[in-house]
Amino acid sequence: MTARKELLLSAAVVVLFAFGPWISPLMHLDVSIVSGVLVIAIAVMSVNLLLGYTGLPAFGNAAYFGLGSYGAALSVKYFQVHFAEAIVIGTVAGLLGGLILAPFLLRRRGIYFGLLSIAFGQVFYFIAYRYTDVTGGEDGMQVPRPLFVLANAHATVSDFGFYYVALAFFVIAVIAFRTIVRSPFGRTLIAIRQNEPRVRYLGLNTDRFIFVALLISSTMAGLSGALSGLLINFAFPLQLDWHQSGYFVLSMILGGAGTVWGSLVGAFIYVIGNDIISTITSWWQIFLGALFVACVLFFPRGILGTLQALGRRAPQAFGDDDDDDHAAFDPHAVPEAGRGV
Amino acid sequence: MIEHIGPQLFNGLVLGAFYAIVALGLSLIMNLTGTINMAHGSFMTLAGYLAYTMVLRKVPFGWALILAPLIAVLVGIIVERTLVRPLYKREPFYSLLMTFGLSLMAEEAFRLIWGPNGVPFSPPPALAGAASLGFMQFPTFRIFIVVVLLIAIAALALFLTRTRFGLRLRAAVQDTEMIAALGTNTQVLYAVNFSLGIFLAGIAGVLAGGMLGLSPTSGNALLMPAFVTVIIGGMGSLFGSIVGGLLVGIAISMTTLFIPAASEVSMYVLMAIVLLVRPRGLFGEEGIFG
Repeated sequence: MTARKELLLSAAVVVLFAFGPWISPLMHLDVSIVSGVLVIAIAVMSVNLLLGYTGLPAFGNAAYFGLGSYGAALSVKYFQVHFAEAIVIGTVAGLLGGLILAPFLLRRRGIYFGLLSIAFGQVFYFIAYRYTDVTGGEDGMQVPRPLFVLANAHATVSDFGFYYVALAFFVIAVIAFRTIVRSPFGRTLIAIRQNEPRVRYLGLNTDRFIFVALLISSTMAGLSGALSGLLINFAFPLQLDWHQSGYFVLSMILGGAGTVWGSLVGAFIYVIGNDIISTITSWWQIFLGALFVACVLFFPRGILGTLQALGRRAPQAFGDDDDDDHAAFDPHAVPEAGRGV
Repeated sequence: MIEHIGPQLFNGLVLGAFYAIVALGLSLIMNLTGTINMAHGSFMTLAGYLAYTMVLRKVPFGWALILAPLIAVLVGIIVERTLVRPLYKREPFYSLLMTFGLSLMAEEAFRLIWGPNGVPFSPPPALAGAASLGFMQFPTFRIFIVVVLLIAIAALALFLTRTRFGLRLRAAVQDTEMIAALGTNTQVLYAVNFSLGIFLAGIAGVLAGGMLGLSPTSGNALLMPAFVTVIIGGMGSLFGSIVGGLLVGIAISMTTLFIPAASEVSMYVLMAIVLLVRPRGLFGEEGIFG
C-alpha cells in the first residue's frame, strides 16, 4: 500500500467514525458501545507497541488500564475534579504504574517478562480488591460522570458528546502511535524484537529504549482506562485483573499484531462480543477462546495482518518504506535460542 | 495471637505444598518447551470436578484421587499433541496465548456443565476430624494432603533422577537437539513431560477442591501464586519451585494472621524483594529464558 493510499483509507475510516452516532443505530448499536470500541482500541494499541513491535509479551497492561480507571474514578469521588482533569489524572496514574513496575520488568525478556508482567499486575488488582474503604472492593465504585469545565462555562458530557471525546483521543493516539513506530525510535524497537543482542552490539542501550516503550505503553493504557472508567461511570477490580490483560493481547492478535489499525479491528470484535453477544448466549466465551486458539494456530498475523499479506503477494523490493507495518512482526520467525524446537 | 502461630504455620506449609506442586508442573512444562501453560489452572479445576462427580457416583475418594488426574492427563495429552505441539517451533509466547484461549473456553465449559457457583466437595468421613500430632491438633485432611503432596514430589524427584527416562528428560531440557540426534524420540518426551505436569496439577486440583472449595475459577486462583512461586524460586529450577512454594505459603499464612488485608499482596512483596536482590530468582539459572 502506498503512503497516499493509506492516508486516504485512514481518513475514510475516521470520517466513517465521525458519523458514528448516526451509523450505529442502523446496526442496532448504542453509541456508547462504539465509544467503548474506540477507547479499548487505545489499550490494545498500548499492548501492540510492546508485543507487536518490541516483542515483549505484555501480559500485564490491565494494571495500567485499571490504574487509569481508578485514578479517574477516585479523583472524581474524593476530590470532585472535572472531566478533563479526571482524564489527565487517570493517564498519569497509568504512567506512574509503568514507572513503578519498570525497574522490575526491565531486567528480563521473553516469557520471563510476560510472567513478571502478569504477576506484578495482580498487585494492583488485590489492592483495589482489598482496600474496600476507599475503592469499594469487589463491588467497585460507581461515580457519576463529572462536568466539563472550561473557564467559567461548564457542561454535562452526554453519551453523544463522550463519543467525540473518545474519537478525538483515538485519532490522536493513532497518529501518535504511527509516528512513534515509524520514527527512528520505533525502528529500534522493531530491531530489538528481531535481534536484541545485535542492537546492543551497535552501541544502543536497549534497556533505555524498552523503558521508554514501557512508559508510552502504560500511559496509553492509563488514558484508555481513564476514558473507559468515565464512559461506564464505574471502576471495578476486574479491570486490573490478568484476564483483562489477556483480553487486550487477544484483541491485538486477532486484529493483527504489529499493524497500526489492527488494534481497532481487534477491539471491535472484543467489545461487540463482550457487550452484545455475551448477553445473547453463554457460549460467547467458549467461542472467543476457540477463535483465539484458531487464530494463534492458523492465522497468527491476525485479521488485518493476513489481509495485508494477501494484498501484497508479490515480493516487494528490499527497503521499500511502505512495507514496515508487516516488517514489525513475523510470526514465523525462528526462535533465537533454539529452545523447544 | 502467639498461640495461633503454630497452626497457622502449618496451614502455610499446606498451602505452600499446593503452590509448590502446581509450580512444579508449570516448571516442568516451561523448562522443556518454554510454554507458559495458562490452562494449568483449568486442568486442576477439571480434575477437581471429575473427582467431585466420581465421589457423587459412590467412587471411593482414594480412587477418585488417582482416576480424576489420569483423565485430566488424557485430555492434556490430546491438547498437547493437537494444539500445543504445532507451536513448539514458534516463539514461546504463542503457546502462552493459545493456552490462555483454552482456559477461557474451559472456564465457561465448567460453568455450563457444573454450574456457575461453587459445589460442596468435602473430604471423606475417614479424613474428616482432627488428629493430634503430640503437641497440637491438626485437621486430618490437611495432614493427608501434606503426605500425598510429599509422596508426589518424592516420586517426581526419583523419576527424574533415577530412571533412564527421567535422565533423558533432564538432558532434553539442556539440549533438545543433541538428545534428538542421539536417537531419543523427543516428541514422546514432550508428551510425557506435559502429562507429568498435568498429573501433578490434577492431584493438586482434587485435594484443593476438598480443602479450598470447587468452582469454575478455583484452579485459576491457585495459578497466580504458582506463577509467583516459579519467579521466586527461579525459572528453570525445580528445587526452586518447592522452596518458593513453601515461602509463599508461609508468607501468606503469616500475613493472614497479622495483617489480614495484606494476605494476597504479601507474596508479591516477597517476589519484589527477591527480584531486587536476585533478579534470576532464588535458584534460577542466569540467562535462562532471558
